[in-house]
Amino acid sequence: MSGGPAVRVSIESSCEKQVQEVSLDGMETYVPPLSMSQNLAKLAQRIDFGQGSDSEEEGAEGEPREQEWGKQEPEEDEATVKFQPSLWPWDSVRNNLRSALTEMCVLYDVLSVVKEKKYMALDPVSQDTTAGKTPPVFQLISKRKSLATAAQVLLKGAEKLSKSVAENQENRRQRDFNSELLRLRSQWKLRKVGDKILGDLSYRSAGSLFPHHGTFEVIKNTDIDLDKKIPEDYCPLNVQIPSDLEGSAYIKVSIQKQAPDIGDLGTVNLFRRQPKAKAGTQAWHVKLEAAQNVLLCKEIFAQLSREAVQIKSQIPHIVVKNQIISQPFPGLQLSISLCHSTAGDKKNQRTSPEKPKPDDHLYVLEHNLHQLMREFHKQTLSSVVMPHPASAPFGHKRLRLAGPMAYDKAEIAALQQGEGLLEKIIKQAKHIFLRSRTARTIDSLASRIEDPQIQAHWSNINDVYESSVKVLITSQGYEQICKSIQLQLNIGVEQIRVVHRDGRVITLSHQEQELQDFLLSQMSQHQVHAVQQLAKVMGWHVLSFSNHVGLGSVESIGNASAITVASPNGEYAISVRNGPESGCKVLVQFPRNQCKDLPKSDVIQDNKWNHLRGPYKEVHWSKMEGRNFVYKMELLMAALTPCP
Amino acid sequence: MGVTCVCQVPVAEGKSVQQTVDMLHRKLEQLGAVKQGNFCVDCETYHPVGNTSGQPPKFLYVMHNSETPLSCLALFEGGPCLTADGNFDVLMVKLKSHFQNSKGHKVESRGARYQYCDFLVKVGTVTVSSSARGISVEVEYCPCVVPGDCWNLMKEFMQSFLGPSVPELPSVFAAKPEGLYAPVDCSDTMTQYLELFSKLRKQQVVSGSSVR
Repeated sequence: MSGGPAVRVSIESSCEKQVQEVSLDGMETYVPPLSMSQNLAKLAQRIDFGQGSDSEEEGAEGEPREQEWGKQEPEEDEATVKFQPSLWPWDSVRNNLRSALTEMCVLYDVLSVVKEKKYMALDPVSQDTTAGKTPPVFQLISKRKSLATAAQVLLKGAEKLSKSVAENQENRRQRDFNSELLRLRSQWKLRKVGDKILGDLSYRSAGSLFPHHGTFEVIKNTDIDLDKKIPEDYCPLNVQIPSDLEGSAYIKVSIQKQAPDIGDLGTVNLFRRQPKAKAGTQAWHVKLEAAQNVLLCKEIFAQLSREAVQIKSQIPHIVVKNQIISQPFPGLQLSISLCHSTAGDKKNQRTSPEKPKPDDHLYVLEHNLHQLMREFHKQTLSSVVMPHPASAPFGHKRLRLAGPMAYDKAEIAALQQGEGLLEKIIKQAKHIFLRSRTARTIDSLASRIEDPQIQAHWSNINDVYESSVKVLITSQGYEQICKSIQLQLNIGVEQIRVVHRDGRVITLSHQEQELQDFLLSQMSQHQVHAVQQLAKVMGWHVLSFSNHVGLGSVESIGNASAITVASPNGEYAISVRNGPESGCKVLVQFPRNQCKDLPKSDVIQDNKWNHLRGPYKEVHWSKMEGRNFVYKMELLMAALTPCP
Repeated sequence: MGVTCVCQVPVAEGKSVQQTVDMLHRKLEQLGAVKQGNFCVDCETYHPVGNTSGQPPKFLYVMHNSETPLSCLALFEGGPCLTADGNFDVLMVKLKSHFQNSKGHKVESRGARYQYCDFLVKVGTVTVSSSARGISVEVEYCPCVVPGDCWNLMKEFMQSFLGPSVPELPSVFAAKPEGLYAPVDCSDTMTQYLELFSKLRKQQVVSGSSVR
């Protein structure tokens, strides 16, 4: 199959027929082949029938032999045929015939000699009588022997058959075990120690530093009766996990209002249902995953308790049994507990069913704890990333460069600054709590106070430590003109930053009351702003406006705000004072000429003084018609505006 | 890291080194500087072993600065400067056959570190083999990296507590062309310290003979 150019080689059969003649144009004319009888006749012509049959010499034969011996017919008389031996195909036949002829000749001679009775006589040959007769004992023995041999052969065959059947079974089981082992091998780390197969379910290869060995053993499941039907969930492979990793575990993170008795501590024992195994997963896989989860939970808890003991905080963290208690805010406690249930515990729980408690488990924080742990793993893994200078200490690459790059103290401190798991989770818990409390405060205010209305728009995209909400304070039916109060609340870990629409920033602490008071004061301001906006629309003139009035009764929350507007023709004026606590007070100033009871002054006698402003009269606001403050105000303004 | 100037402050007439340092501290505190811990700059001298050529031996100085705690500087006098991490000290032990540590040549400057707004002031007592020889003052102006731009300001600031003994622009900067000061490592600072130390070491002989 070389790649060279193909050379065409033509092959044609050798010419079997004789060429009679070649014509001038190259055509060859063949001699037609001889028929069978013609061939026979041709061959027969060559036989010299005159040669004597009894002459044994073959040397006289000098005839050239023909090629087509195969066509020779065997019916020729053997005596007449005399040919050179060895090359003739019928040579053996001829030889046998010749020896038969010799025998016959000898027999003929013997018979003729015997016939003469002169030289030879025929006698019967005597036979041995003892040879034929065998004693019956021997017969019996030989029979038994042969029977035993036959039985043995049969037994051996039967044994072989049963063995092969058993082997088949065993083979199938073995094959199943091996395939299962292969599957296990593809998902878990395995190694062979002695005659055992050990696996590793720890997170050490992922960067974990937890000292638990996390080893499991792979066992061949043999305690099954081969004769019985194999149950459906039978698996030839079983895993043995360490006893302390059995069962299921999870980390419960919850925030409680009041501290429970110290006697209750450390006895958190809440269980969740076992997650249902997905179809198609092996029993061992479920088992191993559960064990690995237990291991991770234990690692997280160990890390948290270590940090809880190490970290110095104002209020020390308490670690009791399987619970860590911290106090993020006064009067509030964050409890992180490791709930580990084994099969034995579950039975106990079933017998004494507890009253189901409200589930205050913060799933988000549990998830975040897992995530933080894995991040921590990754960090330790990446710190020993190769290639690494042989002389340099292990650690973060930037820290390694700190020496040669001559980092100063501040830079090194910035590199080393790393928060622990506990600090992070406490911060997150604080934020979550602050967020939910803010939401509750806003919602309760919104449901309690109908006028003005509060709308809260929560942003969907949050950081673990920060989220924001936009609060709008509006009046029903006047959303388009009263848009003065728009607050952006950035909820952090410890405090809430309020950004006003005009850019003012107010920082509120985590106290619920602060936010509530602030919102109340904003709502009261909103009403006055609404009057201002309404005056613009109605064509009234704003005479004075103040967000923080220094006169009048002192409010416990914030300051009262006030506005005075004058009617388009200047005859009437409305003065509104609105305080978060004292509520609103509306006064209308009448023109002087409309007041009859005014004492006549000596000084202002002239008619022109009639245009001076007169006294104020308070409006019974609650008796005003209208569904909300702004609507009432609109009606009042409309009433005081003279018809054109 | 900004522009740094290291200078020697002469011991006041009729006062000990410690008294002069205390006086400087008092002056700084009166200005409003805040004390922020201590600092330490040390310098070890190595001399080459097996100097076959007839040239005078070139000393190798290994210096540490508490400001860059993980680093270690190796300088030849007026020659190249190397910044390395702490393992360099271990390496020098291995290089014993080439560089021998000159015992008794260890120079150290220890003292207090003051912060005054953007200035960092370090007043240290220079000791050569545990006997006080002089006073070093390091002034760093953190926000700037171009010596020419802030030298006058620094000079004025130094005048406020050093009085008339204000140094000229350090030769490290004067030798450099106009442009950026290399703030990445503290080699310029350490070169100045090295100059100061060598000056004090040479002085020691003179002053020692004159005093005693």
